Amino acid sequence: MKMKAIIIEDEFNAREEIELLLEETGEVEVIQKCANALDGIKAINKYHPDVIFLDIQLPVINGFEMLAMIEDSIMPRVAFVTAYDEFALQAFENDALDYLLKPVEKERLNKTIKKVKKAILTNEAQEFEIPPLKKIPTIAPHKIKLVDVDSLEFVHSNESGVFFSCGEKKCFTDLTLRVLEERTDLFRCHKQYLVNLDKIDEILFEENSAGKIRTVSNHLIPVSRHYMKDLKGYLGL
Amino acid sequence: MDILINLFKEIAVFLVVAYLFSKTPVFKLLLTKDFSYSDYLILYIFFTSMAIIGTYFGIPVHGAIANNRVIGAAIAGLIGGPFLGFGVGLTAGIHRYFLGGFTALSCGISTTFEGLMAGLVHSYFVRKGRYERVFDPDVAFFTTLAAEVSQMLIILLISKPTTEAVELVKLIAMPMIASNSVGAALIMSLFRDQRSHFDKIGSSYSRQALRIARRLIGELKKGLHFQSAQKIATIIHEETGVAAVAITDREKILAFVGIGSDHHKAGYEIASSTTKSAIKENKIIFLDGTNDHYICPISEKCKLTSVLVVPIRIKDEVIGTIKLYEQKNKFFFKINEALGKGIAELVANQLLSVRYEYQKNLLTKAELNLIQAQINPHFLFNAINTIIAVSRRDANKARDLLMHLSNYFRKNLKRNQDLSTIRDELNHVNSYLEIEKVRFQDHLKIEIDIDSTLMDIKIPTFTLQPLVENAIKHGISKILEDGIVKIKVFKNNGDVQINIEDNAGTYVEPHESSGLGIQIVDKRIKNLVGEDYGVKINCKSDFETIATVLLPGRGTI
Repeated sequence: MKMKAIIIEDEFNAREEIELLLEETGEVEVIQKCANALDGIKAINKYHPDVIFLDIQLPVINGFEMLAMIEDSIMPRVAFVTAYDEFALQAFENDALDYLLKPVEKERLNKTIKKVKKAILTNEAQEFEIPPLKKIPTIAPHKIKLVDVDSLEFVHSNESGVFFSCGEKKCFTDLTLRVLEERTDLFRCHKQYLVNLDKIDEILFEENSAGKIRTVSNHLIPVSRHYMKDLKGYLGL
Repeated sequence: MDILINLFKEIAVFLVVAYLFSKTPVFKLLLTKDFSYSDYLILYIFFTSMAIIGTYFGIPVHGAIANNRVIGAAIAGLIGGPFLGFGVGLTAGIHRYFLGGFTALSCGISTTFEGLMAGLVHSYFVRKGRYERVFDPDVAFFTTLAAEVSQMLIILLISKPTTEAVELVKLIAMPMIASNSVGAALIMSLFRDQRSHFDKIGSSYSRQALRIARRLIGELKKGLHFQSAQKIATIIHEETGVAAVAITDREKILAFVGIGSDHHKAGYEIASSTTKSAIKENKIIFLDGTNDHYICPISEKCKLTSVLVVPIRIKDEVIGTIKLYEQKNKFFFKINEALGKGIAELVANQLLSVRYEYQKNLLTKAELNLIQAQINPHFLFNAINTIIAVSRRDANKARDLLMHLSNYFRKNLKRNQDLSTIRDELNHVNSYLEIEKVRFQDHLKIEIDIDSTLMDIKIPTFTLQPLVENAIKHGISKILEDGIVKIKVFKNNGDVQINIEDNAGTYVEPHESSGLGIQIVDKRIKNLVGEDYGVKINCKSDFETIATVLLPGRGTI
C-alpha cells in the first residue's frame, strides 16, 4: 500500500516539483498540499498522514514550530526539505533525521522513502526533539496572531471549537486541547479546560470533591473530581 | 663738567654691560611680562649688581659720591614693577648707606624711593593695558629725571649740615640728572630694539614653519614614495636653506636634494652608519660639524660636514628618516634643527592619517567584496529549484529565468567599480526580482515609481540590492498575506531619495550577518557624502517597513 503524504511548502513551484517527484516513485500518494504551517496542521489533524514533506522556512510559523502543534498520537513521520539553512542543517548533523535538499535528487528521495517506510513498519522512534510550544496561533480576521502561552489564564473547548479569552474577545485556535496539554505548562483541570497555574487566584472546593478555580481576572473554571486529585497533588495540598 | 664727563663714561660701560646682557639667554625673560619667582630673582640679581657697580664707579665729591646707581633701580622698577624696583633700590641703598659719608642715609633712602617710583610708573602702564610703554626710552628718560630730582630734594631735606648739602647738590645735580636720564633712556632703547628683533625672528620662524607645513601636507596625501619624497625634500630644501635634504625609508634613499646630489642619489641603499643607527635605535642624531663630524660614506670630496637625522615614527615604528645637511664652515642653525624635528613629526602624522584613510577604504572594499560573495545561498538554491520546476511546464520561461539568474550573478561578480548609476542598480535588481516573482507567484507584487530624470545619478554600487533583498527575505516571505514591494526614486528638497517599501512590517534590527549589507550601504554613503545622508529604516510592526536612502541631489560623486 502506498504511503499517504502531505506536502507543506510555501512556494508553488517547489510544491509542484516535489509532488511530481514523489508520485514518480510509485510509493507515495500525495493527499494534500499546503502552503503554510496552519494549513498543514489542519490537514494533518484531518488526514493523519503517514509522512509529511515539510519545508523548514515557512512564513509566520516555521517547520519546527509547526511540529510542536501536532499531537503525539498522530505525529506523522517527517522528512524535512530545505534549500539552504545553515542553522537548520546543524540540527541535522546526527544524520538520523530524514532531510532533503532542494533541488531534490531522485536517488536521494528514493533512499529517504525507503528509510521512512522501514521506520513506519518497525515503528521506530523519530529522533528530532520537538520544541516546547510558546505561542499559540489564533485566527484573527485576515491574519494569524500568535499569543504567548504564559499570558493565558485558561483554554476552553466546546462544540464551537478551542478558544481562550484575549482581552474582551474570545480567540479561537486550530490547536487541540491535547496538543496544548502535551506541549505547554497549561494544566488539565477538566475534560474541556486547561488552566494556567500561575494565573490561579483561588480554588473553591465543592461537596462532591469537585471544585472551581477563580483566575486572576475573575473567570470561574470548573475542576472535575478526576482532575482535582491531580491538582491537589501538583500543588502539594 | 668733569663730573658730567666721568658719569657719561660710566654710562658707556653700562651700555656695554646691557648690550652683553641682551645677548644672553637671560634676556629672553624680558620678552614676556609674566615673570616667575625665579625670573624675578635673576632680574633682581642683575639690576642690583648694576646699581651697586654704579655706586663703585661713582666719583667722590665733597664726602659724597656722584654716581649712576639709579639706573639699575629705575630700569628694574620700570620692567619688573614696584616690588622689583623697591627690592633693587633698597639693596643698593643699604649698600650705599654702609659706605658712609654725610649723605649715606639720604642716598640710601632716595635710591629705594627711586626704585619704587619707577615701579609705580610700571604699575600705571600695566593698569592702562600698555605694558609695552615701559620700554619706551622717553618714559625711562622722564622717570629717571623725576627720580633724580626727587633724590636731590631728599639730600637737601635729610643730609646735615644743610649748608654742605646745598653745596653738594649745586655741584652734582645737573650732571647726575642729565647723565642718568640719558643713560636710562639709552639702555632702555637698547632693550627695546633687542626685544623687537627677537619678536621678528620669532614670527618669521612661525611663518616659515606654517608655510612648510602647508606645502608638505598637499604632497603627503599621496603617501611616501620616490615622487612624493622628491617633492617634499625640495620644499624643505627651499624653505630652510640648508645645504642638502634627504629622505629615506628604512632601507634606501627616496630623495636627495641640494649639495652632494651628484653622489647621493635616490634609490641608493642607506650607506651612512649615522642614519642606520637613527633608524635602529629610533632616535634623533645630530652631528653639529664642530664637535661631531659627519663623514660622507660615499665620496671623499663631499662638502657636507654636519647632519641632523630625524626618524619618521609612526606609532613607535620608524618608517624612514628626514636628514638635513650643512656644508663645511657653515653653522647649522638651531632653528633648522628644531624645524627638522617638527617636519619629521608632521610627515609622520600626515602619513598616519593617509594610512588610516587608506585602510578605511580598504575595509569598505573588503566589506563590499563580502556582500558580493555573500550571494545568499538560500536564494540561489531556491531559484534553481524553481527553474527546474518551471522547466517541466514551460521551457521558454525556464530559459528566461536562467538568463536572469546568470545576469544577476554576472553583475554581482563584475561590478567592482565603486559607483553606478541608478539605472544600472535597477537593472541588477530587476533580474533578482524576476526570479523572486516566479518563486512567490501572486504572493509578490512589485511596484516601481521612478523619476526618470534621476536615472543617471551615481550612487554606491550595491545600494539597492541589499535593501530589496531585505524587503523580500525578511519581509514578504515572512507573511501569509500578499506582499507588495515598492521601489520609489524621487527628488526631495534638492536631495535624491530612494524608498524601498514593503507591507510586511517584519523588520527586526539586524544581528550578526543578516542586515550587514544595509549597514555597509549606510556606512559607504556617509563616508562619501557625510553624516546627513545614508540609510534609515522605519518599521511599523505588521504594517510596513520603509527603507529610505537619502543622497545629495548630485549623487555621490
